[in-house]
Amino acid sequence: MVKKQNRVQAFFRHPLSQIILFVIILAVIQLLSMAGIVSNSLVFAIGNTLIYAIIAIGFCLLLGYSGLASLGTAGFIGLGAYSAFYVVQEMGMPYIAALVVTLAVSIGIGVVVGFISLRIEGIYLAILTLGLAEIIRNLLMALKSTIQIEIENVRLFGLLMDTRGGYFLILLTFAVLFWLTANLINSPAGRAMLAMKNSTSAAQAMGISLMKYRLLAFVISTVFAAIGGLLYMMYVRTMTTATSTLLTLTTSLNILGAVIIGGAKSLWGTTFGVFIIYGIQSMFLSRIPFFIENPAFMTMVTGVLIILVVMFFPGGFAQIAMQAGQWLKGKGGKKKGGAA
Amino acid sequence: MFVAFVNTLCSSLLTVCITCLATFAVTLIFKTSTTTNFAQGSIAALGCYVTADLFGKYGIPVWIGVFPGMVVGILVGLFVDIVFFRNGKNVNALGKQIITMGLVSIIFGGIPLIFGNPETIPFEPFYNTVTAGTTPNLLIPFLGGELVLSKHAVICLAITVVVLAGLFLLLKFSKWGLAVRSTASNEFTAELMGINSYAITAASWAIAGALGVLAAVMYAGGGARIGPSFMTTIQVNAFLAGILGGFSTFRGPVIGAICIPVAANCVGFLANFRGMSGITRWNMVIVYALMLIVILIKPQGLLGRPIVKKV
Repeated sequence: MVKKQNRVQAFFRHPLSQIILFVIILAVIQLLSMAGIVSNSLVFAIGNTLIYAIIAIGFCLLLGYSGLASLGTAGFIGLGAYSAFYVVQEMGMPYIAALVVTLAVSIGIGVVVGFISLRIEGIYLAILTLGLAEIIRNLLMALKSTIQIEIENVRLFGLLMDTRGGYFLILLTFAVLFWLTANLINSPAGRAMLAMKNSTSAAQAMGISLMKYRLLAFVISTVFAAIGGLLYMMYVRTMTTATSTLLTLTTSLNILGAVIIGGAKSLWGTTFGVFIIYGIQSMFLSRIPFFIENPAFMTMVTGVLIILVVMFFPGGFAQIAMQAGQWLKGKGGKKKGGAA
Repeated sequence: MFVAFVNTLCSSLLTVCITCLATFAVTLIFKTSTTTNFAQGSIAALGCYVTADLFGKYGIPVWIGVFPGMVVGILVGLFVDIVFFRNGKNVNALGKQIITMGLVSIIFGGIPLIFGNPETIPFEPFYNTVTAGTTPNLLIPFLGGELVLSKHAVICLAITVVVLAGLFLLLKFSKWGLAVRSTASNEFTAELMGINSYAITAASWAIAGALGVLAAVMYAGGGARIGPSFMTTIQVNAFLAGILGGFSTFRGPVIGAICIPVAANCVGFLANFRGMSGITRWNMVIVYALMLIVILIKPQGLLGRPIVKKV
């Protein structure tokens, strides 16, 4: 009996089974919406939140495991969004070509930022990447000086990627990237990054190449952010460049905030943090009549939540979950006679 | 051509003033609280809304209304420091940044609640030339040409010079300045030496709030449209000016703040030459790229000293 319970626990602890469970639940929600049980706008909001979750997971690797702060996320998202627009809409090429372009450009930019990070550290690096994001944003807006960019529904391998198809593609991308990141964290590369975060000198003394792992961390986070931008254009299909906050400091800060309040070293925590910052507004608050009448309160609720979590739980939701787990265990242990 | 160039420099006067004030505020908080205050622009916008509201609804002129606005900036600054930062002592620098970010969301939501959501808010410069019946510009003969200086910019320059000179003198010669400098260099040691670092940090937040609002009112008076996020560009430039000049001194960031708008206008001036007319679109790209190169060559900033670490 005990053995069986352990096996069940081990099954749920494994990242692969966790992610499969997560995907199944979200896929079922989409199927329910097709059957008309769940509203379409809720499912659309989930898809949107998942895009930000993809971006945040890349950032989690950068901040939580490599200890590098960046405020350039919005610029990298812009790279993906604009390459989707250019390649698909302006040149009429398939969506997969946009993916190739995005990967090439974002790897290049990631390498550049990685090299910069070898010379400048800490908060200076964060502000410098903010400068880089501003360069990218201004560059993109100078290239195409229209107020709005828009693309048509794309096709991938013959499948129409509308809000339904796109949702499944986003879910699949999220699952694959989440699984890859979870594996990377538990690999020698992940441990090297963690060593680098805790002490650069000690890591170098152990033979860890700072250059290699900083470049790797930046390339991964840049690629994830650019893929997020690519998926955003496919899913939302339109962006008002003049007023959209997607490419400004706000987005970079929101992603940073999601990782911090999720618990910088926990992938599920980060996903939950994204849900708090992006999802809670679009999924729940926008359904409560009070908030529909006063939309300004929604932003305020998010702000208050962020501040409360950071002030009282510096370890984020991962810390809250751990403390709750210990509390439950402590109760159970006492009943059994304090063996645990 | 030379006169035109000097005129280009003159046209960046107002932006230079605004950026200088905002940068000094950012630097003060960075040095005493070891965090970048992302809410700087939002607090400034909130204060500016107060001034605009007093002007629009009660007809109080801006040069009087700016003081209640600055009081609001001071109160918000004090509130952040005393309520959020003092109670969260084990919050690290990143956590503090996130707190200021949460504050941005609260102010963003709060502004429409308090002030409604007007499309255009009426506003005027400190010295309204339209109602006073004079021209908005000063014309100064210069080398056979004419220099055009907006009166608003000249007034703002005077205010900025007085305020910043006062602050720098205080920093250098007053007891408060000594306390700020020692808190900035090491908060813990400063406390051991009997400096009330709580009071110093709170005072920095108050001054930063007031300076931000002053900058925002100048910006709005110069014709910028007021909105919850209308100070964001200035704020981003202030951060960049901070690392361009080097956060290790107080004067470095201010010099950086002068460089960025001037450089932007100089690049824009190139548009006067043949075949370069398209350059204005790439203005900020070129300026930021130049800045990036300077920082890569000199990571501690233009005036910064290299930080010596003892192991």
